[in-house]
Amino acid sequence: MNEPDPVDVDRIIRGARAEGRGMLDLWEARNVISGLGVPMDHAELAGSREEALKAAARIGYPVVMKIVSPDVVHKTEVGGVKINLPDNREVGAAFDAMMSSVRQKLPGARVKGVLIEEMVRGTELIIGSSCDPQFGRMLMFGMGGVFVEVYKDVSFRLVPIAAFDAGEMIEEIRGKAILDGARGYPKADREQIIRILLKVSEGFRKHTDIEALDINPLMVTERGIVAVDARVILGDAGKGCPV
Amino acid sequence: MDGPGDHPLRDFFQPESVAVIGASSKPGKVGYAIMSNLVLGAEGQLGGGFHGKVYPVNPSGGEIFRHRTFSSIKQIPGRVDLAVIAVPAASVLEVLDECAAKGIKAVVMISSGFSESGPDGKERERLAVEKARSHGMRILGPNCLGVINTSNRLNTTFAKKAPPRGPISFVSQSGAICTAVIEYSQEEYMGFANFVSIGNKCDLDDADIIDYYARDPETKCISIYMESAKNGRRFYESLKKVVPKKPVVILKAGRTATGAKAASSHTGALAGSDIAYTAAIQEAGAIRARTMLELFDFSRALAYQPPVMGDGIAILSNAGGPAVIAADVAFDLGLPLSDLSDETIGKIDRVCPPTWNHGNPVDVIGDADLARYTAVLDILIKAPEVHGIITIVGPQAVMDLGEVSRAIVELSGTTTKPFCASLVGVVSRASEGYLDEHGIPEMEVPERPVRAMKALYHRGLYLRRRGLR
Repeated sequence: MNEPDPVDVDRIIRGARAEGRGMLDLWEARNVISGLGVPMDHAELAGSREEALKAAARIGYPVVMKIVSPDVVHKTEVGGVKINLPDNREVGAAFDAMMSSVRQKLPGARVKGVLIEEMVRGTELIIGSSCDPQFGRMLMFGMGGVFVEVYKDVSFRLVPIAAFDAGEMIEEIRGKAILDGARGYPKADREQIIRILLKVSEGFRKHTDIEALDINPLMVTERGIVAVDARVILGDAGKGCPV
Repeated sequence: MDGPGDHPLRDFFQPESVAVIGASSKPGKVGYAIMSNLVLGAEGQLGGGFHGKVYPVNPSGGEIFRHRTFSSIKQIPGRVDLAVIAVPAASVLEVLDECAAKGIKAVVMISSGFSESGPDGKERERLAVEKARSHGMRILGPNCLGVINTSNRLNTTFAKKAPPRGPISFVSQSGAICTAVIEYSQEEYMGFANFVSIGNKCDLDDADIIDYYARDPETKCISIYMESAKNGRRFYESLKKVVPKKPVVILKAGRTATGAKAASSHTGALAGSDIAYTAAIQEAGAIRARTMLELFDFSRALAYQPPVMGDGIAILSNAGGPAVIAADVAFDLGLPLSDLSDETIGKIDRVCPPTWNHGNPVDVIGDADLARYTAVLDILIKAPEVHGIITIVGPQAVMDLGEVSRAIVELSGTTTKPFCASLVGVVSRASEGYLDEHGIPEMEVPERPVRAMKALYHRGLYLRRRGLR
């Protein structure tokens, strides 16, 4: 996994600012999250159909394809996510379909390319950060997917957190039995979750330009925990979060 | 621990002299009630009035409670540490100027008609703060009852009664909650060290008061009623500093959208989201009460009893139904009951009839006499797997409530394990008072001592997890 590189994170943020953007594209967001020290799944940025095919071959089938554009907020709404692509024929077809769908649904969107990503299966977790007008930076942890949407099974703390805060956040989740391997779910390494929460807390505190970030999902797999998707939003320059 | 001697808020709690601006000799006036509380002491305030000097100020002159009334602040001969302002809002700014000229640095603004009452009041409040800042003066209020300190009997309020002396220090954004707590404290033997009605928080806010309480040696437990913090992050930081030293119970109202709307019209303050308050309270290690009853019960338990320093408590009862209710509530709250060891069960076997339930809750059966009840209590106190005990007594002809209460108090003195109690259905009798007076929180329904014990468990968990004990 990439070692955290704070210089890189700042450079990415400056790059987006220079273009007057408040939202990072998926590739930038992945690099920021990775730069904070959070392990990511394998993925490559492909600028063309040909590059997409090559990247898929390197990563190994099946793969996931996601649109990389600073103008796309919700990837699925513009047909910007295709999962479980089994071979090069499907990757080629998906690329063509994705490009025409995005052009049609969001004309004029800047498209950097597509992300070709390994297909990761496991239990979905979520880490999010946000800003409260009174209390400042906050960190959220919980069960992802349907659990966060329907049950709101999440826990919040103010940034920065200590290791036992991270431990308590995990304890407060109703679905924590799933993390311990209930009913055949992969057992999550709690220490690794704690380490990731601490890295996000520290990164969020340090990089004050970041107003909100989401790691959704953070996936518990048989081989460990990896971030699979990321979103990073920059605050208004100089305004940002009160603390 | 640092004493409060050099604390910036010292003059609000330990002044040697107090001026009451707007003092009145007419019963029914706020300025009369304040004078009466300061000079004579409020109802329930043992030993009379304030230890220091009291200077009534009113242009009409004369005497109030045999104290010479000064027509203006500047005519007061000596130094004044604290000014209590109870004049109409329109005159307050002028009075602040006079206070500044006298060198007064601490002001309690009882008067209303400020940010709680529209744009004119808001502007008046802004000007008052500006004036105070320029003179290095601090303001408590406006729109508040001010301060009660039970050790020197300072009482700037116009409340009818004062709470008994004790280890709890309270700060409330609502004056009505203050007076309700005072009423309750006299029925339920809740003692207070300090009492602050904080009003609009134009200058001093919860964080400042908490900081003072942290250093006050009389204060063992801090209780807070709030609807909004003036500065959420600062409130959190001050909590985080005090909780390692003293337990803090917070009733933060306005949890729901409906409640928050009521709160914003009440205080006119910007509230953070309830998620943020919850996170801040948990992260700081404070305990959140959701109702007034929880605020009372948690505060009593934390002020008078030690924390639960292990995972498991015992419920001892001579009454089946109440024990079952208690066990259910413990489960709901995540308060673990001890798995009694074979050794403990063997010991209880020797003093109970064979039909006892052999489990926890320990039901010593309705025909239990004092000897059986206390023998089992002693066994539980000595059991290493038991870290706290809830004693439930259903009134019976075979066991005298007064005797069992005395026995519980006596045995509780042999251990550092915490006790909470219920004499089920018993309201206001000597036996109930005996437990409370001796620091064992007693409630008339079995679920309440369980909740109180949960607060002690929470405190113990906080201390253990952070290696503080």
